[in-house]
Amino acid sequence: MREASSRRLRLPRGEGAGAWLCAGSVALSLLALLALLALLTVRGLGHFWPSPVELVVLEDGRQLAGERIREVPLARGDGVERLYRTGNRDLDGDRWAWVRVAAIEAVSHPVDLVVLERRRWGQAIGRLAAFQAASGERIEGEAAWAALEARLDELTALRDARDRLREEVILPLAARRGDEGLADGELTAAHGRLRELQAAMAGGRLILDTADGDSLSVPLEQVLGARRPNAMSTLDRLAAWGEGVWRFLSEGPRAANTAGGVWPAIFGTVLMVMLMSILVTPFGVLAAIYLNEVAHQGRLTRLVRIAVRNLAGVPSIVYGVFGLGVFVYGIGGRLDRWFFEASLPSPTFGTGGLLWASLTLALLTLPVVIVATEEGLARIPDQQREGALALGATRLEMLSQVVLPMAAPAMLTGVILAVARAAGEVAPLMLVGVAKLAPQVPVDGDFPFLHLERKFMHLGYHIFDAAFHGGDVQAAMPLVYATALLLVLVILVLNLTAIFLRHHLSTRHGALTRR
Amino acid sequence: MLDSPPPTAVRRRLRQGRDRLATALITAGGIGVIAALLAIGIFLAVEVVPLFWPTGDSSAISPEALWGVGEDAGEAADEAIRHRWAPTASLAPGETPRISLAPLAWGTLEAAAWALAIAVPLALGAAAHSSLFMSRRLRSRLKPTLELMEALPGVVVGFVAGLVLAPWVERHLAEVVACLVLLVPGLLLAGGLRSWLPAPWREALPLGWAGLWLVPWLALVLAASVWLAPWLEAVAFDGDLRRFLELRLGLDIAVRNALIVGAAMGFAVMPSVYALAEDALSGVPASLAEGAQALGATRWQTLWRVVLPAASPGIFSAVMIGAGRAVGETMIVLMASGNAALMTLNPLDGLRSLAATIAIELPEAGPGGMHYQLLLLAALALFVFTFLVNTLAELVRTRLRRRYQRLGGGS
Amino acid sequence: MPLVKEQRSSPDSAAIIDFPPEASSLAIRGLSLAYGDKPALNDLTLRVPRHRVTAFIGPSGCGKSTLLRVLNRLHDLNDEVVREGEVLLEGEDIHAPEVSVAELRRRVGMVFQSPNPFPMSIHDNVAFGLRLQGGLSKRKRDDIIEWALRSAALWDEVKDRLRASAWSLSGGQQQRLVIARTLAVGPEVLLLDEPASALDPISTLKIEELIRNLKSHLTLVLVTHNMQQAARVSDYTAFLQHGELVEYAPTDTLFTNPRLARTENYITGRMA
Repeated sequence: MREASSRRLRLPRGEGAGAWLCAGSVALSLLALLALLALLTVRGLGHFWPSPVELVVLEDGRQLAGERIREVPLARGDGVERLYRTGNRDLDGDRWAWVRVAAIEAVSHPVDLVVLERRRWGQAIGRLAAFQAASGERIEGEAAWAALEARLDELTALRDARDRLREEVILPLAARRGDEGLADGELTAAHGRLRELQAAMAGGRLILDTADGDSLSVPLEQVLGARRPNAMSTLDRLAAWGEGVWRFLSEGPRAANTAGGVWPAIFGTVLMVMLMSILVTPFGVLAAIYLNEVAHQGRLTRLVRIAVRNLAGVPSIVYGVFGLGVFVYGIGGRLDRWFFEASLPSPTFGTGGLLWASLTLALLTLPVVIVATEEGLARIPDQQREGALALGATRLEMLSQVVLPMAAPAMLTGVILAVARAAGEVAPLMLVGVAKLAPQVPVDGDFPFLHLERKFMHLGYHIFDAAFHGGDVQAAMPLVYATALLLVLVILVLNLTAIFLRHHLSTRHGALTRR
Repeated sequence: MLDSPPPTAVRRRLRQGRDRLATALITAGGIGVIAALLAIGIFLAVEVVPLFWPTGDSSAISPEALWGVGEDAGEAADEAIRHRWAPTASLAPGETPRISLAPLAWGTLEAAAWALAIAVPLALGAAAHSSLFMSRRLRSRLKPTLELMEALPGVVVGFVAGLVLAPWVERHLAEVVACLVLLVPGLLLAGGLRSWLPAPWREALPLGWAGLWLVPWLALVLAASVWLAPWLEAVAFDGDLRRFLELRLGLDIAVRNALIVGAAMGFAVMPSVYALAEDALSGVPASLAEGAQALGATRWQTLWRVVLPAASPGIFSAVMIGAGRAVGETMIVLMASGNAALMTLNPLDGLRSLAATIAIELPEAGPGGMHYQLLLLAALALFVFTFLVNTLAELVRTRLRRRYQRLGGGS
Repeated sequence: MPLVKEQRSSPDSAAIIDFPPEASSLAIRGLSLAYGDKPALNDLTLRVPRHRVTAFIGPSGCGKSTLLRVLNRLHDLNDEVVREGEVLLEGEDIHAPEVSVAELRRRVGMVFQSPNPFPMSIHDNVAFGLRLQGGLSKRKRDDIIEWALRSAALWDEVKDRLRASAWSLSGGQQQRLVIARTLAVGPEVLLLDEPASALDPISTLKIEELIRNLKSHLTLVLVTHNMQQAARVSDYTAFLQHGELVEYAPTDTLFTNPRLARTENYITGRMA
């Protein structure tokens, strides 16, 4: 007995099994979060890394060239199957090839394998057999690659020159045509120059020999880029990776959202979120000031406050239904009948669009802003209000000069949280205005410049659409990963800002109460 | 002596007028904004009314039809046929429309139940650990980290669950089972091993930081279970778990199933349950826990006997909030569930939730039609359910706060 | 200021001093006040002499702070307050509908228990009230700020750092800054609600000295639970209990020779 009790004293008291299971649940949650972020990062960023191209010789003598994607064990333990991305969809009808690893005889990495990025049909992989210049001159062998690279650089420069000409000369001229006689002449000259550039870009093609012995003839204007991944140094790859990331961020989608970039989706998301914050900030702050500073603090106000808090927990899809029923069908339909009768029955405002989406999300995030602002207001000691009033300030002066400046960080936190929530919200947008593919961004040079009725693209919806409605999900996956990573990054940065602000806020108010 | 000039009457009246105007504007604006928010419920209710009270051309539907087609539907009185959601199917004259909301409500609740089954133990465990054992520094970092987890958009979680996790699980059922089986022993093993370590090592691995240093250990355990899985499958499940499930237990296996939805949604719901539960646990006046520890209770006994009972209303409201979120979550269910309107108890079958149905079908349903109104009814059901659950949680929480104040004041 | 007649109509009011209307700046007549259904003040009638320091003393919850807040109409912030009776400032009813609350509060300044400078610079704190009134050149405003800070005996300590945050000052300095801020708008009456209770003894002495200096051109009303302080700085003292005025007399008389047993018990610490 004595011994037992002294042992208990000596040993550090165990906390039992429960403590470890509790610690384990923290660890498991963190592990899940880490795994998710790591998955998105690796797959999202890895896609742009120019991976080596393998030339595979099979037992039966067939050959194929492609990037190795992954391996999957066959059912019942019959070895392993490997997936290659072989491209050349126009030849084979498929850009993937499953190969049993046991059936592979040899794998090599020839430096002369070329990967073409094309406007249509996606990638093409093969050996460059010949390069045919616009003049008809045909170059073969190693010189062909050099000539192709030079010509592609040239084409890029020409394209840039054309775009510049269009945006800086022709569009401004066309906008003020008829003002002066002089502009017409300039315009004709510019158009002439444009035609010259286009002529310089036309023509030329290349011949690609694929691994299985076919031959592919590709016109040069179809080619977006060409590289020989096996011949690249690490530095080259890094450069190619950077370029890939940049093009992902700056270009529009191609090939039914399975290739290209997400620029319109970024633009649409940002524009929608900006409109939403412009709508939600004043109204949210107004409602919070009313609830906290003006309203009679009775039972009714308490009830309203609970209701507002609860509205933050109402599913977003319900807000989407409200937006569709009230904004789109109700207000939008009426606007169409009054102002856009000419274009009926095709709706203008009576269908989902930028304005309705922003309004719906503003409503959805209103409780967030109200609650955050109210908390900020409630934290300001009454002495500050009384101090201002005792100096002869009116209520407006007290609010605008003492209370609101002190509550500003809380308001900002609320707005940032609202923005973060809105940026990730997809379900209501599916009802009120998001589009699978919207080639026209809602901002352009036509009056009134900002087209509130247009549909727009959204990063979150882009993920859903590319992953579930694309023809070739396998091909879209890398871009979906990249888009998901981008969305998560945006939201993480917004949330971190809010957390930082809140921390800053609490230390400041700590100073206030410590006094 | 210096004196400021008395302000002029004009200016005084101007200031007063501005103040009155601003107060009126704030009042009007505030009431307007709040009314607009509260209008959501009213709008849904008003739009749904014609379903039950016919107005002219449209005929009312009976509440029974919303539950399921009656016995008169013919010989197929099978459960799966009776409760069917097919509002757009063309009907023979005289046939009752198949508009049973029952499978959708079932799917919603099933998904939420699985999500809670995963989220609640994780969240409560994490909350208990962080309020009792965790070092203060780690705790102040963990909270924002889990907040970030909460902020992850549903569409991303749904994508990973539906297109990455689901196919992987389908191919690696045995590995998943092995991970589940070995998770708990693995954690206990960590605790056991640590107590055998020499003292300096043990001090390097304090319980307060266990949440962090267990992460690599857990990864190791999971890797080991994946490695052990074929053996487990051979010994326990006749060498093929899939066949075992299908033949022995009669379970169909869908790629996207309720368990996948539960796991993904559990991941999404866990942080909000954690945050509220942690608030409730750490809000328990320290005097209570200190009193118990002064009587010789371990920290774990203190948690179990004193802190948990005191905080139980707060934990209840945390679970309620989690339920509200899980019921309304749209994108995760939409992407990870397969959206087949089934009413089965099999967790490996697909399901279809109210929210996902609204998202898929509402854009196609013409305004004013029966289909449209049915979907609005579904939205109303979601609204009422979440609103009630949240109100309940809020009331319980308010009462709890008052109780803490009393306890804190008495000590 | 001539001390005038003492009312002797009823036993209780025998102990209450009165001043002629022309010598008093504030007159309270039949004032009752309740928070909802909880009464706080019960039928108070008294006058506050001009350019003197009047102290209100009494146990906690006797209504002395409530009374101070009525004089400044700060109870307007609370919707539940029910009030009867009237308060006259220089003969005008401060609750009359045509009175501007902001203007009233400019004329009747108030300093609170714990210092409450705004989160601005020292200069801006003092300029706050002046900017609200408007119509002053920057030069004139700066002159007033300097004067106010000098009057509050703070100028020498802060003149080199007027742009520093007001929250960087010590508690006593903050309280003097708040007094300066109030002086700057040119009040006629200054209400002080336990102005030194949150301060250390040295700061307290400075504030007390300041109060004695300010009565040359201001009417001061001081609420305190510190009887030594009331005895040190005030000219007249009113003792309140349970929301009623018990005794009101020159400070010397009240502390050395109270008329009523209740007052004596409180002053000597024999409170039930």
